[in-house]
Amino acid sequence: MHARLDQLLSLRDGAPVSAEVRAHVDSCPACAASLARADALRTRMRALPPAPEPAADGWAAVRERVAAAREPRRARSRIGPFAAAASVGALALFAALRWLESPPPATIGSAPTVLAASEELDDLRARSRALESALAALPDRPAVERAGTSVPIESLEAQVQWLDHQLSVAGADGRGPEAQRLWRNRVEVMNSLVQLRYVEAQHVVY
Amino acid sequence: MSGFSDSDLSPDTVAMARAGVAEAQEAVYRAFQRPVRSLARRLVPHAPTAEDLSQDVFVEVLTSLHQYDGRGSFAGWVRSITVRKCLMHLRSPWRRGLSWVESLAPGEADGTASGGAASGGDALDLERALARLGATARAVVWLHDVEGYTHAEIGALLGGTASFSKSQLARAHARLRDLLEPDGVKTPCMPVSTSC
Repeated sequence: MHARLDQLLSLRDGAPVSAEVRAHVDSCPACAASLARADALRTRMRALPPAPEPAADGWAAVRERVAAAREPRRARSRIGPFAAAASVGALALFAALRWLESPPPATIGSAPTVLAASEELDDLRARSRALESALAALPDRPAVERAGTSVPIESLEAQVQWLDHQLSVAGADGRGPEAQRLWRNRVEVMNSLVQLRYVEAQHVVY
Repeated sequence: MSGFSDSDLSPDTVAMARAGVAEAQEAVYRAFQRPVRSLARRLVPHAPTAEDLSQDVFVEVLTSLHQYDGRGSFAGWVRSITVRKCLMHLRSPWRRGLSWVESLAPGEADGTASGGAASGGDALDLERALARLGATARAVVWLHDVEGYTHAEIGALLGGTASFSKSQLARAHARLRDLLEPDGVKTPCMPVSTSC
């Protein structure tokens, strides 16, 4: 049997490959040629030219946006106390609404309870991956969406995106309490997202 | 290559830009505008979107300079912001909703990151083939094979694993072969027999 493409790419990149695969590629002209093609493709990609100079100089637009981004910061410092009070109020309202809308404890309470018992980072990552797989297994979103599910779904997707952004800032191998908190949040948001997408898919079926 | 390695600035210039000196900030932009735009256009083939993202990158770079602690290379820091911005765009629900609009705007995107200025037919073919890959496969093959990211780094950036990145890389290579060599040999890597 020939080597698979992923094995050939590992061989090309110097990643660990079984001795059996290595020996086969050494003795098989077809696999050796395929390996050479993978290498040549990488060389061709690296030789591609950069983007051309833009038609218009973009510096002026960037400078204006940088200045504008700094301006609201100063304004925020003047209205800071009022904004903080408004935020606390909004959070309290949000918490109350969440409490009123809570399903039975068996449903919504399960995730935090299980998480409290096993807060290992690897476990959280594995849960996140499992939820990603569950999400991918659901059918595509319908062309005509229900407002009752589409808005929360988009909000949850935005939350996942924001958490991914924070995780990427924290670094690929971050293992501190902050990374653990972010991964825990991601699992909880993904859990809600999968449940909502499932509900949405059920509506499509009927 | 996107050219980040050729675009490093002196630490003094970076320090002045951080202090808000307009000339130094412009120097940061001038030094990195081409590599940032090149990388953005590799990851996001729709040219106007890639240009917008490039501008977003510079706004973030110049407003977040205080977060650069000087430990790694400045070019690497700018590149990481570029990659993150582009991947966030590709994963956003907003972008997914508009992807069909982008595909219907042939006048705005020529499907090539070098704007059709590739030196030869081979390069043009390769650029078009890259533009036809799925967003994830294209990002993985470019970040791994050209920018030198590891599978673990790519997996983390995409919210997945190193294995996910490896499978996407193999898928991207297979698709590029199909696109670049439509009549080429298909047997390598496929289990056509139990021995050679």
